[in-house]
Amino acid sequence: MDRRLALKQLAWITGGVILIPSCDFTQESVLEAYEKLQVTASQRETLNQVTNTIFPGVKLKKGEEVDLPDFVLIMANDCLPESEQEQFLKGLKSFDAFSKKEFGKTFEKMDSSESAEAYRGIMAMEAEENSDLASTKNFLAITKRFALQGYLTSEYYLTEIMPYKMIPGGFKGSKLVSELERINPNG
Amino acid sequence: MANLNIQHKKENTFDAIVIGSGMSGGWAAKELTEKGLKTLVLERGKSVEHIKDYPTTNLNPWEFEHRGNINEDIRKENPVISRCYAFREDAQHFFVKDTEHPYIQDKPFDWIRGYQTGGKSLLWARQVQRWSDFDFEGPARDGFAVDWPIRYKDLAPWYSHVEKFVGVSGNLDGLPNLPDGEFLPAMELTAVEKYFKTHVGENYPGRDIVIGRCAHITGNEEYYAKQGRAICQHRALCQRGCPFGGYFSSNSSTLPWAMNTGNLTLQNNAVVHSIIYDEQKGRATGVLVIDALTLETTEYYADIIFLNASALNSNLVLLNSKSSRFPDGLGNDNGLLGKFVAFHNYRAGISGEYEGLAEYTTEGKRPNGGYIPRFRNVEKQETGFLRGYAAGFSGSRSIITDHSDIGENLENSLLTPKFGTWRVGSHMMGETIPKEESRVSLDPNQKDAWGMPQLKVSIDYDQNDEAMITDYLEQMTEMFESAGFKNIRTRDDKRAPGLDIHEMGGARMGHDPKTSILNKWNQVHACPNVYVTDGACMTSTSTQNPSLTYMAMAARSVDHAIRESKS
Repeated sequence: MDRRLALKQLAWITGGVILIPSCDFTQESVLEAYEKLQVTASQRETLNQVTNTIFPGVKLKKGEEVDLPDFVLIMANDCLPESEQEQFLKGLKSFDAFSKKEFGKTFEKMDSSESAEAYRGIMAMEAEENSDLASTKNFLAITKRFALQGYLTSEYYLTEIMPYKMIPGGFKGSKLVSELERINPNG
Repeated sequence: MANLNIQHKKENTFDAIVIGSGMSGGWAAKELTEKGLKTLVLERGKSVEHIKDYPTTNLNPWEFEHRGNINEDIRKENPVISRCYAFREDAQHFFVKDTEHPYIQDKPFDWIRGYQTGGKSLLWARQVQRWSDFDFEGPARDGFAVDWPIRYKDLAPWYSHVEKFVGVSGNLDGLPNLPDGEFLPAMELTAVEKYFKTHVGENYPGRDIVIGRCAHITGNEEYYAKQGRAICQHRALCQRGCPFGGYFSSNSSTLPWAMNTGNLTLQNNAVVHSIIYDEQKGRATGVLVIDALTLETTEYYADIIFLNASALNSNLVLLNSKSSRFPDGLGNDNGLLGKFVAFHNYRAGISGEYEGLAEYTTEGKRPNGGYIPRFRNVEKQETGFLRGYAAGFSGSRSIITDHSDIGENLENSLLTPKFGTWRVGSHMMGETIPKEESRVSLDPNQKDAWGMPQLKVSIDYDQNDEAMITDYLEQMTEMFESAGFKNIRTRDDKRAPGLDIHEMGGARMGHDPKTSILNKWNQVHACPNVYVTDGACMTSTSTQNPSLTYMAMAARSVDHAIRESKS
């Protein structure tokens, strides 16, 4: 908690970025909060497009409104085994190019139903082991896993949609199901 | 100089010293201080004060940076503790990491430890089933280990004494193999658990499902208010430490109670090197302590010493307490110290679904579960293996949300969860047989960060355990099928011993000093002012969760020590 806060504060002071030179002589800023990932702001934006595709904000809040991109990056940075982290990064860093090649444009240029179809299309493709497609699919699967985890445990979901009760106060072992009552998995 | 030494010795002299502040050490401290003895409790770990030092206790799920997960770096460096079910983001600060206190695994053994005030009593699963004479008479009847020097009648009043104070929720089930105790109102079985109980009762004589007896306050509020504890709120977040004191821990109960007597001195960061034996006096005179932070050593003195450092660490302290009288460790005249260690076999489990009772669900949370008392070989030997197993049994109504798609479909399904079947599950808790080759010893070379020898652990399953796993899975599968449960899956997770966190023995009780380390009062045969009343004392393991028995033994032994000192 404290480390992230400190990094966030530092990021705010420094404008959120540090500069590192990259091989192609362009300079792209690396988001310092995710020290193992070395992702840039535009890669974070690519991830944002994916999490907004998973949660497009039709009936519920959109992915970005519950900070999903940052949560996915925190989890990918801190909680993924190295091999999965590699797959995640490989897929993320080549995702725009992959999307352009397959669909003629990036997710950013698609509306939410187009990007959803593209997402489903990729996941339905047969991938050979160690192929670019395989890491793209792994990237999407990992992102989906963390996006779902982040969404279902977000303050928004646990207070407004399926309220969580920290203090239930008791337990009933046999309660008649009521047709009228909304089913709340956190209730 | 001589005056200074006398002064120092006086300051460091107490009526009693308790090594360890966990489940059983806390009880020893409470009983000793209540009887007016100035008592020093030595705790090797950090200070954890009730409520004040429960940093995660009131956090909401979204306030955890990783929503419960453990960082990969920590998992990789600490594979043993990472296998523990409760080592999660909300309670990780209460567990010892592998790297902090290394030990040597001659055979795979997951040693789960909690070094802090209260020890593992902060983290335990809170199940408190009594033993019966079917358990105490096991070794003598079945010809393994040595005969227990005590029987149920010796411990029964102390079970009651402990239960009243800790608060035990349970049902008066009237079962000879699981004696009733001093119970507060029971928690409820769920609809499917009740159904299974009825079905098993009608079809399998001698088998029963009861609600677990658990150390939670469910009534008699005024009495527990005196301890500063309140009724359990069913948060089921116990492992974080409970701000209500709803479940029993040393931190919420025995230690503050002992502190209120004015007779308790609690010292943290105190790693016990050894118990000091005085040959002239023929008794232990004190304890040598290493400061965990500065590594300075200090001696403390007392006439009564209680060793409650946790099963394996108590073995380590005894083995390391060498003198010319006891060159192989305190009380180890027969060379059996550290041997005949055993545990509970938790390897197997089963799950299934029940399509009936669709009109019911549950409400709220239950920090407890159903319990199947041992039904194998209870009255007499009747299977190809010795002893038997108890089992957990729990069932709850599932709620299904389809997470398979993305986009609007996913949002829609999150808004419309549906009731699924009842999900039922069970896990075994098998008695294992203590054997001479199941042992812990001191490594002659490797030391830990405090300069103590590392413990070498050599404990394994045997054919009896394998046969018991097979039988558990067969019997439970048959009972599940007969009850109409569907989609039955069995598992043997092949976990290493230790992950049950029920390791026991090494300094077993017995009648005969030639074949045991402790007598019927938990005194070291050859050094009777040292009492060992934690898991190290256990002659056999039976199937019940052992903490209640340790607490009862601690209280009983204090009573004995005080009667001895008066006579």
